[in-house]
Amino acid sequence: MVYNNEILGRGRNEVNETKNATRHAEMVAIDQVLEWCHCNDKDPGDVFERTVLYVTVEPCIMCAGALRLLRIPLVVYGCKNDRFGGCGSVLDIPADDLPQTGAPFKCISGYRAEEAVEMLKMFYKQENPNAPKSKARKKD
Amino acid sequence: MEPQRKRRKTEESDTFLWEVLPVLSEELSQGIEFLQAYAAPIINKKDTSHLVKKLAAMYPLEGLQHIKRVRACRDKHSPHPLEIIVCLASDLNSKEEGGTIPSITALLHNSESDCTGLGEPFLVQIPAFPPLTRPQFEEASRHWPTSFHEDKQVTVALKGELFSKDEKATMQKYMEQAIEAAKAGKEEGMASVGALIVDPDIDAVLAVAHDCRNSPNPLLHAVMVCIDLIAHGQGGGAYNYKKYPACHFVPTDASHYLANDNSLPSVNLSSLEQATESGLPYICTGYDLYVTREPCVMCAMALVHSRIRRVFFGVISSDGALGTKYKIHTKKDLNHRFEVFKGVMEQDCQKLSQL
Ligand SMILES: [Zn+2]
Ligand SMILES: [Zn+2]
Repeated sequence: MVYNNEILGRGRNEVNETKNATRHAEMVAIDQVLEWCHCNDKDPGDVFERTVLYVTVEPCIMCAGALRLLRIPLVVYGCKNDRFGGCGSVLDIPADDLPQTGAPFKCISGYRAEEAVEMLKMFYKQENPNAPKSKARKKD
Repeated sequence: MEPQRKRRKTEESDTFLWEVLPVLSEELSQGIEFLQAYAAPIINKKDTSHLVKKLAAMYPLEGLQHIKRVRACRDKHSPHPLEIIVCLASDLNSKEEGGTIPSITALLHNSESDCTGLGEPFLVQIPAFPPLTRPQFEEASRHWPTSFHEDKQVTVALKGELFSKDEKATMQKYMEQAIEAAKAGKEEGMASVGALIVDPDIDAVLAVAHDCRNSPNPLLHAVMVCIDLIAHGQGGGAYNYKKYPACHFVPTDASHYLANDNSLPSVNLSSLEQATESGLPYICTGYDLYVTREPCVMCAMALVHSRIRRVFFGVISSDGALGTKYKIHTKKDLNHRFEVFKGVMEQDCQKLSQL
């Protein structure tokens, strides 16, 4: 999460440690920005409105909802997420008509997408060695 | 399409001022689509089976196995008691038609011998897909006879009669606690939304939460808090709720069960083990959520990630993602689907927004 050329939050998936399936990298990075706001006496609303999220994979439907609620203006991501993607793949949360859910945001996709795909494959291999092969392939 | 409620209310629902209704997938709840087709009277009843065979070869009506080819004529005084579908309007080259109904000879490729036995054609509407619910079947049948494989569970659910009096009493007991939590949250300056996660197999509340969006974290909607409280109960968790005593959980990690040996049935322990053995914390596997209002898209997807079993909510919300704006719980592309029911203590939940 980048604000005024400064990295305020940097997250990775923490689902296993927290036993909370919602602790995606975006949610973790958002919490770090909130913490920074708290320590620096800034209004989170003002900060998020000027913060860009860089993320390797298209945010899922949940994270896209969270980003809307916070009124983040721009998200830059690497590869698509066919399984859960909330920014065009399964649903298009940033563009849909949701007047009670924050503000629409823009997306730029495809930056270093190949590397992002490789990382995602590695992640799912580590995450669940018992997952059927066919399922693992589906998500590239 | 709204489910029909013409039936006289049963004894069971008389004791409750609310009705619980399923939030079904788009294909179950929508009206039905029609196709235009040409039908013609069968002049001599004895020719019926011959005509059915001949037309099936000429115009097979592919993908429309639910359509009955022949129907009884609706006009009782008609000299021809039966009518048959000749072909779909789309089977013809529309340029030749110019909006008028073609003659039976034209429909049968000007083959004089084939036309015997059929009267002049007329246009009908036939259902494009097999009906999935009784309301869809009734609508379809008003246009053309259609076969229907009734899912009794869906029929009962659409009438609001899926749950017994006892089950509704249980729902009310849980929703009352969610409403209390919502009120406690309001006292703390939060949105008046409350949520509760229960293990229905042992009839136990595992976590109670209220909205915390006006805390330092605006994303702490009641559902997100409730999911995190379940994670706390299993030895994880991301946030601290000490400031909010109305948000609490019951420890449910395996060690707790073992320490209290016989206090809980083993069914829950095994489902917990299944969830953790896979290495992925599908923490809400087998659990139900009660929430006073329909969750937003973030919370709805959080419930997919958490593998919730069922969701019961009170009132709909304008950007709601379990029926109003989306039906996240029925999306075929997602890897987990769950049942959603609305209307539990609807009026009491509605009142919360006026606090
Ligand atoms: Zn996500
Ligand atoms: Zn929410």
